[in-house]
Amino acid sequence: MKELKDNIINRIKANFKDATEKNDYNYNRLDFIVNKETIPSILFYLKDEMGFIHLSHISCVDWLEEGELEVVFIVWSPKDKIKVFVKTRIDRNNPVLDNIDMIWRQANTYERELKEMFGVQFTGLVAPEEFILEDWQGPPPFRRDFDTAEYAEKTFWHRPGREDAKNVRETISNRDGEEIPDFAKKYER
Amino acid sequence: MYNDKNSQKIVDYIQNWTRKHSIWVLAYGTGCGAIEIPPTMTSRYDSERLGIRGAATPRQADVLLITGYLTVKTLKRVIRVYEQMQDPKYVIGFGSCTINGGMYFDSYNTIKVLDKYLPVDVYINGCMPRPEAVIDGFVKLQKRIGEGRATGAKHYKENLEWYRANQKKIIPNWVMPEYNW
Repeated sequence: MKELKDNIINRIKANFKDATEKNDYNYNRLDFIVNKETIPSILFYLKDEMGFIHLSHISCVDWLEEGELEVVFIVWSPKDKIKVFVKTRIDRNNPVLDNIDMIWRQANTYERELKEMFGVQFTGLVAPEEFILEDWQGPPPFRRDFDTAEYAEKTFWHRPGREDAKNVRETISNRDGEEIPDFAKKYER
Repeated sequence: MYNDKNSQKIVDYIQNWTRKHSIWVLAYGTGCGAIEIPPTMTSRYDSERLGIRGAATPRQADVLLITGYLTVKTLKRVIRVYEQMQDPKYVIGFGSCTINGGMYFDSYNTIKVLDKYLPVDVYINGCMPRPEAVIDGFVKLQKRIGEGRATGAKHYKENLEWYRANQKKIIPNWVMPEYNW
């Protein structure tokens, strides 16, 4: 496993100058952090030259404090039984990334999902219309600055709760004459 | 004689009695609650002994089970299904999600209170309600039908504008056919 990983790291670093590896897992996982311009070429290289023929997932992480979105491509090699995470950071206010559906056709589905849930724009996306959310008019809902509770509060009706059950623990202890233990008091509402 | 109030009462009694013993449930599940329906229908809890069985299409069914959370997208389909159903028709809200949102109380895409959008005859609480609770809900519905109190469909027809306004408030792109029943 170690020689395999070292081999992959050496080959990737020889071909892509901006790739930084992150090899801190002792199982079959390997991470690479690259610039966003390198994404199509590194994925093409991994697929065609190194046997990572299976695209497992495209995911996204919202780094709100740093103003960046991190897009993660997970590829898998059935021959070597190793998965490689290719990560890239893009600007949160202008999240544009190269389309990779000429490498894997099925990437289109993930790209449409990322466009809808995180607002990541892929250049030349096939079928860019709505995917899962119907009639959605708000901001992309998986971004961390989207407050779902506030949105639900102003969009949907909420059934008001019972007035006598505001503090359930206290109500029960009063009714049954039990004492609330000290460790439970800090959870009181 | 036929317009006599007492004879109408007898007709209603017989009608309700027959209706309550053949509850056909539309085979349609919206949330995770649909997983409790197979054990309810099959041999262990065998709800067919009470006359409760599945129906394939909305036009053959009497009861619409809303099993669990209901997204805005699914609500569109549920409204269409409900309006295609023939009289008599009843709605059972199933699980705490239909009552107050349940664990999806702050979700951006699920409705919290079902009876603003569809007339609910019986609620079954619990997350998830077990098959015993489901059968108990059906028995409650049978009791209400027998007493002639399960009048959700009538209520929906009379207050259609109120329900429509509520539905259109969260479904901005309304492209549904109007059923003229």
